[in-house]
Amino acid sequence: MTIVSDVPISVPDCVHDDNWHLHLGEPHSLDPARSEGQSGPETPQRLAAQRRLHELLLKATRLQVWRLRHQLPGAGPTDLEDLAQQAADDAHLAVLRRLREFEARSRFSTWVFKFGILQAGVAVRRQAWRHREVTLSETLPLVDPDHGPASRAEGADLARAVRTALSTALTTRQRQIMIALLIDDVPIDVLAQRLGTTRNALYKNVHDARKRLREALTASGHLEALPDRRTS
Amino acid sequence: MTDPHQPLTSDAIARLLTDTDPYLSCDECFARIDEYVEHTLADPNYRDVPMDVHLAGCAVCAEEAETLTELLT
Repeated sequence: MTIVSDVPISVPDCVHDDNWHLHLGEPHSLDPARSEGQSGPETPQRLAAQRRLHELLLKATRLQVWRLRHQLPGAGPTDLEDLAQQAADDAHLAVLRRLREFEARSRFSTWVFKFGILQAGVAVRRQAWRHREVTLSETLPLVDPDHGPASRAEGADLARAVRTALSTALTTRQRQIMIALLIDDVPIDVLAQRLGTTRNALYKNVHDARKRLREALTASGHLEALPDRRTS
Repeated sequence: MTDPHQPLTSDAIARLLTDTDPYLSCDECFARIDEYVEHTLADPNYRDVPMDVHLAGCAVCAEEAETLTELLT
C-alpha cells in the first residue's frame, strides 16, 4: 500500500466535494479476486482521498490517545504521537476493508472517526497493560476505601446479598469474568486478548451474569423486578 | 469467597447489577455508534434504548462514544 502521508500532492477539486470518499473504493481495489499488490495504478483522486482519510483518522486517534494518556504515565509526547500514528495506519486499513459497509446513515467522516477511536483505544489499553498480569480471581477486594462506617452499614445488607449471589448464582467462569471486568477494572479488550476470546463474547458473558445476579436478588427481596424494556 | 462479610463499594454493586436488557453486542454498538452520536447531538431527546443500555453497561464502548461526541462538538 502507498504510504499516503508521504505523497506530496495537490488535492483535486473532486476530493473537496461531499462524495470524496467514493474515490477510495475504486473497483480494482475492492475486487476480492485481486490479491494485495495487484490493485492497479493509483489515481490522483484516489491518493488525495486516501490522504484526506488518513487526516481524519489521525484527528480521531490523536484525540483518543490524548484522552487516555493517564493510562500511560511514562509516555512522552513522541510516544503518544507514535501510538496515534500507528493506530491511524491500522484504522486506515480497517476502513478500506470495510468500505462497502458504509450505508450513509451518518456522515462519512463520523463513520471514519469511530475506526480511529477504536484502534487508538485498543492500542493505549494494550500498551498500558502489556506488563501487567491479569489474574482471574474468585475473591472480592479486601477493602472498601471510599465508604465510611455509616454508608457501609446502610449498604451492608445489599452488599452481603450481592456477595452471596456472586457465589451461588454464577458459574465459576462468570464470576471470574465479572470480578476481572467490573471490580478489578481490566479493560474488556485486554481481557479478551489474554483469554483468546472476543469483546463480544465477554460482554455476552457479563450480560448473562448480570441477569442471573438480578434474578437472584429479586428472588431474595433485595431488588424490585423491573419492567421489561424490550416490550415497553 | 474468602470473606463473605467484606463490603463491596456502591459503584461496584451498581456495575454488577446494571440491567443490560435489551441485549446489544459490542459489534452491534460499534456498527451504530456513529449514527447514534449524530442523532443524540442533533436532538437531546433522541432515544435508542438498546444503545443507551449498552453504553450504560460497557465502559469501553461508552468511552468511545464520549470521544466521538467530543470530536463532533
